[in-house]
Amino acid sequence: MSPPRVLVIVPAHNEQESLPATLAEVRAAAPELDLLVVDDGSLDATSKVAREAGVNVVRHPVNLGVGAALQTGFRWAVEHGYDIGVQLDADGQHDPRYLPALLAPVLEGGCDVSIGSRFVAASGYRAPLNRRVGMVLFQAVVKLAIGRRITDTTSGFRAYSRSVMQVCQHDFPKDFPDAPLLIGLARRGFRLDEVPVRMRERQAGRSFYTLGKQLYYPYKNLLASLMAMIRRPV
Amino acid sequence: MHFFLSKAQVVTAFGAVLLTLYVLDLVRRRKLSEEYSLLWVIASLAIAVLGFSTPMLVWITHALGVLGEASTVFAFGLAFAVAMLLYLSLKLSRLGFENHALTRELALLRHDLEELQRGRAGEQRR
Repeated sequence: MSPPRVLVIVPAHNEQESLPATLAEVRAAAPELDLLVVDDGSLDATSKVAREAGVNVVRHPVNLGVGAALQTGFRWAVEHGYDIGVQLDADGQHDPRYLPALLAPVLEGGCDVSIGSRFVAASGYRAPLNRRVGMVLFQAVVKLAIGRRITDTTSGFRAYSRSVMQVCQHDFPKDFPDAPLLIGLARRGFRLDEVPVRMRERQAGRSFYTLGKQLYYPYKNLLASLMAMIRRPV
Repeated sequence: MHFFLSKAQVVTAFGAVLLTLYVLDLVRRRKLSEEYSLLWVIASLAIAVLGFSTPMLVWITHALGVLGEASTVFAFGLAFAVAMLLYLSLKLSRLGFENHALTRELALLRHDLEELQRGRAGEQRR
């Protein structure tokens, strides 16, 4: 049997500054992994710098949101026969040195979704108050929904098995793929697991999470979590 | 029984007729699809009929326990506006989903096209 093929999917929106360093870091930390950059309608040279780095680039002609970028990445991964997909931020927040640890449980078949958590072990991460309130809230929502504690529901550093990607290539929250996604996946019978990681400050560029989105986030994710609980899993 | 039209009723009915004509003209100029025009024509005709036929309006007003015929006309107009807005939100959401799918499809196809072109360029060089 050939070794499992892993694709690191990097959704990027206007990340020309930090993307090259992020890609180089992934290559240094895990040279055996393939990379795909999904440029989500960037107005800067994101696609160009990614192509120059020699990775595959799929470019949305307009900005659709981080979830849509991942959905495209999953579809690409499934079509190109990858067994595992890893979601990694372009801005350098996710440290590629944790890739092997993140991948291990999925590779061993112990789980379908491996979540890089800042809170499984003391990682020294301390979020601003508004984030902390949200994290506690969504931790409680997820616990209520799936009967299990996920310490870091807002982590975007995750590895997915092929079967998860097969589902998610068609159905994935188009924005803020956090708590509702985990609830939906758990209800479909996928096994979630957490792995301790350390996260860093973003290196450059701007976050997806602007002020307007920070206000919309709790509304959308509470509603979507509720829907994920009562919707029949398909 | 009041049979003569009040000023308000004349204005309402006249406005409704004008709106109907305008909607039909938009269809003629291919600015508005028949699908959407149907709702607007039905609604404005309903308002026109209510505005013109006083006995019917009075009867409906009594039946609903509304004070004043003008309020009945406004209530119907408002109900229609709400229904139309909800319908448009639904349509807009669906358009959003479709747009989303199309955009992603385009991105993937363009990637494949670039790959193909690169492959062909490679062959020519060889």
